Amino acid sequence: MIRFWEKRAKTSVVTEHPELETQIDQIRRSIKDEVKRKFAGSLAIRMVDSGSCNACEAECNALSNPYYDLERLGIRFVASPRHADVMLLSGLLTFNMYHHVMDAWAQIPEPKWSVTLGDCPLMNAPFQKSFAIKGPVAEHLPVAHHIPGCPPDPETIMQGLLEFLKKI
Amino acid sequence: MRFVARFAKERQSSFEVITVFDEKTEIEQIDKADPVVETIATKYPAAIWFERKMHDDFGIRIEGAFDHRPLVHQERFPKDIHPMRKDFTEQSLDFAEYRPYKYEAIGGEGVFEVSVGPIHAGIIEPGHFHFSQAGEDILHQEVRHFYKYRAIEKMVEGMDPLQAAPIIARISGNESVAYQIAWRDIVVQALGTVLPNALLKRHALLLELERIIHHLTDLGFISNDAGFAAALAFCSKLAEEARRMMKHLTRHRFGFDAITFEADPLDIGALGQWLDHLQEQMQWFREWVIDIPSLWDRFDTTGILTPYKAKKYDTVGIVARASGMAVDVRLNPFYLEHGFRMQTQSNGDVAARFKLRLDEVANSIEMMRRFMMDNAPSTCKVQSEAKGSYSAFVESSIGELFMTADIKNGKIERFFVRDPSFMNWQALHLMMPGNIIADFPLINKSCDLSYAGNDL
Repeated sequence: MIRFWEKRAKTSVVTEHPELETQIDQIRRSIKDEVKRKFAGSLAIRMVDSGSCNACEAECNALSNPYYDLERLGIRFVASPRHADVMLLSGLLTFNMYHHVMDAWAQIPEPKWSVTLGDCPLMNAPFQKSFAIKGPVAEHLPVAHHIPGCPPDPETIMQGLLEFLKKI
Repeated sequence: MRFVARFAKERQSSFEVITVFDEKTEIEQIDKADPVVETIATKYPAAIWFERKMHDDFGIRIEGAFDHRPLVHQERFPKDIHPMRKDFTEQSLDFAEYRPYKYEAIGGEGVFEVSVGPIHAGIIEPGHFHFSQAGEDILHQEVRHFYKYRAIEKMVEGMDPLQAAPIIARISGNESVAYQIAWRDIVVQALGTVLPNALLKRHALLLELERIIHHLTDLGFISNDAGFAAALAFCSKLAEEARRMMKHLTRHRFGFDAITFEADPLDIGALGQWLDHLQEQMQWFREWVIDIPSLWDRFDTTGILTPYKAKKYDTVGIVARASGMAVDVRLNPFYLEHGFRMQTQSNGDVAARFKLRLDEVANSIEMMRRFMMDNAPSTCKVQSEAKGSYSAFVESSIGELFMTADIKNGKIERFFVRDPSFMNWQALHLMMPGNIIADFPLINKSCDLSYAGNDL
């Protein structure tokens, strides 16, 4: 363990690459303010994948890495829809996921918002409509905000969440 | 003989059932009016998912099979619809009445069932796991997937091969480069051309980078699932840096649409520096985690897949190599020349799969250094495609990816891909008996299989 603490002290806090630092810092600060104002300091997100390629999920996971550390802003990904304020939905809304997504949405207590993530939910990705796809999502759910990208990178997701928070 | 895949094609007056082994390919012609084929799953157990899928897709009856349940078509999928048939052209389907799916379950006094998913607690893809439990102990588990079924095989039919490329690049985000390379191989064979060596090396370099990203993420998450969060922080930091390198080289963090027939010189200064940094960090990481006894207490002897079962179920990739099977598409002169060394472990437990990833990252760094030495610009001319049937094998970060396509008049007639996960998901339940349910996430993560690539 001594080696670990030595490494820990040497590494210190990993700061962003200089060219990103100010921008991300700004996003972080304004997200924190919005979350504090509108959600009493803690915004809970239930992420649901309705048939993505897993890249959107990978980028959401990346939000927890030391470079972004979303949780310090009071935004948390929660395990149950019943703990959530927001459903973050990725993927094409497949035939086989349709009822499970609707179920998760129904379990989120009011007030609630759905935010779509990536190009798939709005059918803007290269995929074409097929019998196994129920998208676009907006035909089935009220979409409060959309975060575009294929996939949106962590910065874009943070930016998108901020825009959403400003909007509501 | 290793079983690779089994799938059907529709011809003018018959169905063709194609069975691919590592040494040969068998083709059976069957009657279209009453399509029946004999099962091979009694000899090759991993064939059962292929056969169940074949029934869903084409309505081919499997004789002598031990499992006739639908695979892809779930509770509300309309009955007697076989969408891979050419005469099925619907763009949309209505939900049918709910028909329950009969799970594999063990009965007995005090034995109970635990259903998990399709939506899981974390940020993860949807899939279902069904456990039979005696207290904490797992007696049996059934893996049930295909929630992400997007019908990609059907979607790309009739498309121009280059038009289908962006879809194929997005089948499984974690394996995008591997999928693109497999598709590249098919297009190149169809053209009857040979890729310049410089281009091959460029693509191979990106494939190793993709592997490094995937392995780094896993090394973090596996440790985290054993309650050692510090390793997740460490590895996810490295994974983020690797992803940024991918963006620096390809303008995309996942390398989507990066496998092209043109290559500009790379910024090898930055790449070389990053590789040095990564190598040094991984060396440190290895020495650090090796010294954490509580971590190995969780890893050792957890989720064992014996070499016998790994072979019997024709597993591939990390899962196979951790159980002593020397299966790797990269075992060829091109890769060997660039420093590839076959990595295997023999215990088949979580620890073996973890150590294997460590070794593979080290080997990938070495290979990338050699691949980047050829940094001249390179192009290959692409014209319209010829007619024929082509296949490709690529070693993705999960394992052996098999892809095949029939191209007719420059259009895709039939597209089939078998993700390595399709084989390995079927072997997951073999790792469960003797473990407690709390270790399931750890075992599952140590294999890190794809849902999107599996479900298509």
